[in-house]
Amino acid sequence: MYAIEMKNVNVYIDKRHILKDINLRIPYNSVYVIMGPSGSGKTTILKVINRLIDLIPSSKIDGAIYVLGFDVLSHDPYDLRRYIGMVFQVPNPFPHLTIYENVAIAAKINGIAKSKRELDRIVKWALEKAMLWNEVKDRLHDYPHQLSGGQRQRLCLARAIAMKPKILLLDEPTANIDPVNARKLEEAIISLKDEITVVMVTHSSHQAARVADHVAIIYDGKVVEQGPAKHLFLHPLTDIGQKILRGEM
Amino acid sequence: MYSWRKVKDRMFFVLILTISILAITPIIHMMVAVLANGFPMILKAGWGFFVKTPPTPLSQDIGGIAPSLIGTAILTLVSLPITIVLALFSAILVNEFPRNPLSIAIDVVAKSLASIPTIAVSMVIYILVVVPMGRFSALAGAIALTIVALPYAYTYISTVLGSIPLTYREAAYSIAMSRWKTIVKVLLPIAKRGFAIGILMTMARILGETAALLFVVGRYRTATSISIIEPVDAIPLLIFDYILTPYPIMQQIAWASAAFLLLIYITIFIAIKIIVKEVRL
Amino acid sequence: MLISKRDKILFYLLLPPATTLLCFLVLTILVISSISLDSIQIFGIKLFISNIWNPEHEEYGLIAPIIGSISTSIIAILTAFSLAMPLSIFIAEYLYGFTKKVFSSIIEVMGGLPTILYAMWASTYLVPVLKNYVMEILYSQFSFIPLFSCKPITGFSVFAAGVSIGISIVPYVVAMISEAYQSIPFAYKEACYGIGATRYETIKMLVSIAKPAILASLILGFARSLGETTIAVATVGNSMYLSSCIFAPSYTVSALIASQFANAYLYRYAGSVLYVGALVILAISILLSFLGLTIIIKWRTRLVV
Repeated sequence: MYAIEMKNVNVYIDKRHILKDINLRIPYNSVYVIMGPSGSGKTTILKVINRLIDLIPSSKIDGAIYVLGFDVLSHDPYDLRRYIGMVFQVPNPFPHLTIYENVAIAAKINGIAKSKRELDRIVKWALEKAMLWNEVKDRLHDYPHQLSGGQRQRLCLARAIAMKPKILLLDEPTANIDPVNARKLEEAIISLKDEITVVMVTHSSHQAARVADHVAIIYDGKVVEQGPAKHLFLHPLTDIGQKILRGEM
Repeated sequence: MYSWRKVKDRMFFVLILTISILAITPIIHMMVAVLANGFPMILKAGWGFFVKTPPTPLSQDIGGIAPSLIGTAILTLVSLPITIVLALFSAILVNEFPRNPLSIAIDVVAKSLASIPTIAVSMVIYILVVVPMGRFSALAGAIALTIVALPYAYTYISTVLGSIPLTYREAAYSIAMSRWKTIVKVLLPIAKRGFAIGILMTMARILGETAALLFVVGRYRTATSISIIEPVDAIPLLIFDYILTPYPIMQQIAWASAAFLLLIYITIFIAIKIIVKEVRL
Repeated sequence: MLISKRDKILFYLLLPPATTLLCFLVLTILVISSISLDSIQIFGIKLFISNIWNPEHEEYGLIAPIIGSISTSIIAILTAFSLAMPLSIFIAEYLYGFTKKVFSSIIEVMGGLPTILYAMWASTYLVPVLKNYVMEILYSQFSFIPLFSCKPITGFSVFAAGVSIGISIVPYVVAMISEAYQSIPFAYKEACYGIGATRYETIKMLVSIAKPAILASLILGFARSLGETTIAVATVGNSMYLSSCIFAPSYTVSALIASQFANAYLYRYAGSVLYVGALVILAISILLSFLGLTIIIKWRTRLVV
């Protein structure tokens, strides 16, 4: 059984064929990295998993997608998203909520915490897991705009895991962040895989090499390579795959 | 050749500057004239301005505009909440389902309705409310004002909602918020300043509307009335009626009312500017 | 795009309040049309081509107010455009930072002021000024032109009403032109300066890019002037007089309605005729609004850089 399965998935946006016949199998409790050059469709794959692609009115999806055994295309998306957390490329903490409230709201609306004490506990746990606790523990009632970019992104990570998801989607989470914070974020991500299945998009093969258990390489909307990370890095099957891994594309 | 181009550039600037000043002058003159004519009249009326009834043509006492004040207050208090609620739900619908043909229809209709002759609204409400009720009423006036103000309120609110960056909606969905919770707990709070401005602007529109009330409220100004099903007066109506009469004392109270109205407007706009200054996003 | 069941429920819940706007429009058109039907059936085309208001004898002809509405609106939009266009350019191009904000704020405030204030000011101050410094001069020098061929007596006229309404819609037109002008992608301005154009030449270029939007603003301003009541009543002279001279008093449809509606119930068809007048300006106003909005929407889609 796989955490996420995509079978012959085709996605069209504005009549353009973005994802072409995608077949993916993502195992439970691993870090699965999706790599590829810009514009190859990596973000679209993520957005199909949690149906955020619905926000694009001109989108069309064909094929079968199963997440945790549920048929994504027919199951209620709002219910499904309860199990899927997401961290976006540009940090987007809610500006009108404090740091504490940003993390708390994810837990509260999903019924994770029943009392104020439980809520405090979960907020602390999430911020610790996101490696942000020490930096904000004295200013939980400050607002996100008072944090640096890297801290905001870790706040978004804390928010995403506060609802105890089974799957975590990360869309180039370190793309807009300085290297020190990026490292911290990567450490946090790796530490999560015992409880959560992590799917991460990146265009840096170095980052992939650092964190991945499994890798899929996407080029021009198609899956070009797929398999366990160590094996793939050493023996890429295709030419394109080689080029991408070497950072030439 | 180059210096001739420079000369044209200069001349153009002078032309633009001159006409711009010419464009602004009448309006500034209007505001000054209203205050200069009206404010002394308010002082002449003293506190009576707020509690007495308007003068008759030959009376000595300038009186006051109490019935019109109360009337305007009632009309605004009834019409504003209804307008805002309707506009909010319309804006939410159009914002959440933008590709739906109904949303497109609502959007286009709202923008077109903003330019209709407001006197037509008065004529319609006369037939639909005044005649069946058998009398003029504040209720009819409130309904007429709602129809007039709704396109404006809708446009402000939907612009505000539409300018919230998409990423916050994505963030909300990603923590499994339903559409409605996203609207209530994320979108509206982020937009609350723009929303407040929208409410104030709508209120400004309602306060000054004259033509829509012409045939529906009855201009009852011999005594104050607070009943919603009775005839009532409004400040712009009083000004409209009195300024065209040849009696000096009535013209004086009209100027006083105009100055009062202008002061209310200036207050509203100052309030708006204060709110705007605190945007932090 | 997939829609979940919960989305559908939300949609249907939001539907009733959201459709009130559409209902109002439909209701307005229905009511006005049905009441107009009465007198249209009796008087037919005479309503639109004769000029008479005689309720005692049940004789009606609306051509004077209709032409009056249209001509005041034309004068209004000409006035507004000549003032608003330079003002918009001035604010957009020659002002920065604090002064720009102050100016824009002042214009915003003016745009929100009730028209009754303009009406008072115009009838007391503007009309005499126009009469003494503009109309009399034009009459004495150019009376061979039919437009200026009558002697202004009180000053209340189509011309006075047009200029007054025009001044009152300057903020509205400035807002629309500014919005269009400032939504032109910066890249075009950069391109102009990049080839060494002066500010004047760049502005000329940007204005020509904005032409459809400016035209649409004029159309929308015209639609708005058609409906203006209070200023019209105060400045147009309120007389059923039709002539080619714009210095003579006349009527607009809205002024006629404002003056005559209260007494209309005494007569058989007077009310219905007034509704016919309303129907005419309502129809023109809505059609022009649609037209103006469509032009702007089409223009915006072509602006993509």
